Amino acid sequence: MAGLALGVSRLRAATSLSVSFDGDNLRVGAPNLHFLTGKPLERLKDAATVTFLSQVTLFSDKQGTVFKRATERLVVSYDLWEEKFSVTIPGRGQRKPFTGGATQVEEWALDNLAISAMGMAPEKPFWLRFDLRAVDRREVAEVMGESGLSLSGLIDLLSRKPSAGETSLTANFGPFRLIDLPRTPSGRGRIG
Amino acid sequence: MKYAWLGCLLLLGSLLFAGTQDSEFNVNSRYTVEAVVISADGWRTDLAAHQNPDPDGKLSSTLRKDAAALIGEKLNPTMLEDVGRRIRKELHARSVEHHVLRGKSPEYVQIVFEVKLRPARFDVSVPKFLYSSKQTFSGLAEATATIGHNGFTVGGVSDADELTERYSGLIARYENNKLGSDRVRFRFEFDEFHDQWNAATQRAGLASLYRSRTNFEPEVTITLARPLTVSFGASFQQMQPQFPAAETEAANALITTLRYHRRLEDTENQHDLDAGYSLRAATKLLSSDFAYARHHLQFRYMLTRGRNVFIDDLTAGAIAGNAPLFERFSLGNASTLRGWNKFDLDPLGGDRVVHNSVEYRYGAFQIFYDSGAIWDHNDSPVIRHSAGVGLRQGVFSLAVAFPIREGHIDPIFMVGMNY
Repeated sequence: MAGLALGVSRLRAATSLSVSFDGDNLRVGAPNLHFLTGKPLERLKDAATVTFLSQVTLFSDKQGTVFKRATERLVVSYDLWEEKFSVTIPGRGQRKPFTGGATQVEEWALDNLAISAMGMAPEKPFWLRFDLRAVDRREVAEVMGESGLSLSGLIDLLSRKPSAGETSLTANFGPFRLIDLPRTPSGRGRIG
Repeated sequence: MKYAWLGCLLLLGSLLFAGTQDSEFNVNSRYTVEAVVISADGWRTDLAAHQNPDPDGKLSSTLRKDAAALIGEKLNPTMLEDVGRRIRKELHARSVEHHVLRGKSPEYVQIVFEVKLRPARFDVSVPKFLYSSKQTFSGLAEATATIGHNGFTVGGVSDADELTERYSGLIARYENNKLGSDRVRFRFEFDEFHDQWNAATQRAGLASLYRSRTNFEPEVTITLARPLTVSFGASFQQMQPQFPAAETEAANALITTLRYHRRLEDTENQHDLDAGYSLRAATKLLSSDFAYARHHLQFRYMLTRGRNVFIDDLTAGAIAGNAPLFERFSLGNASTLRGWNKFDLDPLGGDRVVHNSVEYRYGAFQIFYDSGAIWDHNDSPVIRHSAGVGLRQGVFSLAVAFPIREGHIDPIFMVGMNY
């Protein structure tokens, strides 16, 4: 797993990050990655909705030339009476939210944050970056004004460092070749 | 550029975000709100309480109603954030966090808004500013530093409206709103005023005028039962007569005030009832040159129904003994017998007073009708009337008032704030 690097991470230690290929999509695997912790967990236990933004980016060279990018929004809440987490990826046509314990929900979320490998040459090297960040609803509201996108709000948000306790992860992987990646069973079809 | 990806996501996903509220995916939105509690340091209110949930009136009635309206509805996290933001703004709090807890019954939840007040803050305010076509300008400006339960205030005042004198000078005040218990407050005020007199007052009572006065006034207020408070303390006033050769005079009095405030609300109406009785008793035992007892009774009822507001304000007072001019009652200013000039009614003020004001407001529009009498105990009272119209928006007010009498009518214009 050459070139693996954790950039900004205030998540609990993700000791074994991996990339797998199911024939259609590339998936990031991190069985020990726990993002339902810290402030987001506190907010969830207060019945708040917590939104995570994720992005998987593929680069064609070391210099960071982007050739593919997939973004997703994970909406998580915690049932006060049933004491279970619930996660939804809006826009996926998901009939029911996935519910379960924290670990189950985290695994389900990662498993669904895939990027399509369509059009990728099997022997061409590529690099992958995985980003995950809990976003305050107000942060989105700051950028999305009534009259559309606020440029100053966007600059302000992007230049802001994550505050203490804020959940944010950036992990870089590579180089890889599709033919070298471990194959996992397919079954969910192509994403993106 | 660490978060450039987030920017791209926001740009690309703007439509998605613009049309979707994440809170709709919250699993708890199927639960019903059972209770709403607002809690701050030394203060807690349960909005599910049917009677008088906020006796101190810390929250505006609109906000209180909106927060109470969450009860019985399905949990809406977006609404909680909105109410929390409004509480923070209204209480000038450092932060407001909301916690959602399991309710007493299954499928029900309780909401607790936890208010964290600022440990120290600084405010500048203008509690009164008035221009009257008869008495010209009056105003009071104050700066207050609040540290914990302690408030330190300094201010400047020049007021020709309230009394028969124009008093101008400095006000300094210390207040502690939690003296051991949140039911006990302590206040100490020091005032130093320079006095100016109208020509009519000078003609009527030159010997009793003074050119300056100082006041030391410690006072303790105790909340007996939530809407009922009692204050007691002392006022030590020293007056420098008009003539430098004359000796300083003292009016040292024990003071006590009983206040009652009650707000009753139903679905359409809000009733506010304020009543107060104050007694200032100056006695030779406190080395006072004056000996008197000043009784003052006030009653105010306000009915609010939508944009309609009806107010009745009744005041009565009597002085037994010989009191200095600043203690004597006055009518014919910006709040009593509006339209009359107080110096035409009684340039030295009176030792008996009765006054009633009826006011109706619709939105910003107001009309009022005042009636009252001011007299001395050995005279007969003469009831006088006045009426007026005006505009009132928030603290700002503009009014014109007319005395109701035969002959020449000279209207008085008033404009200002908080008078």
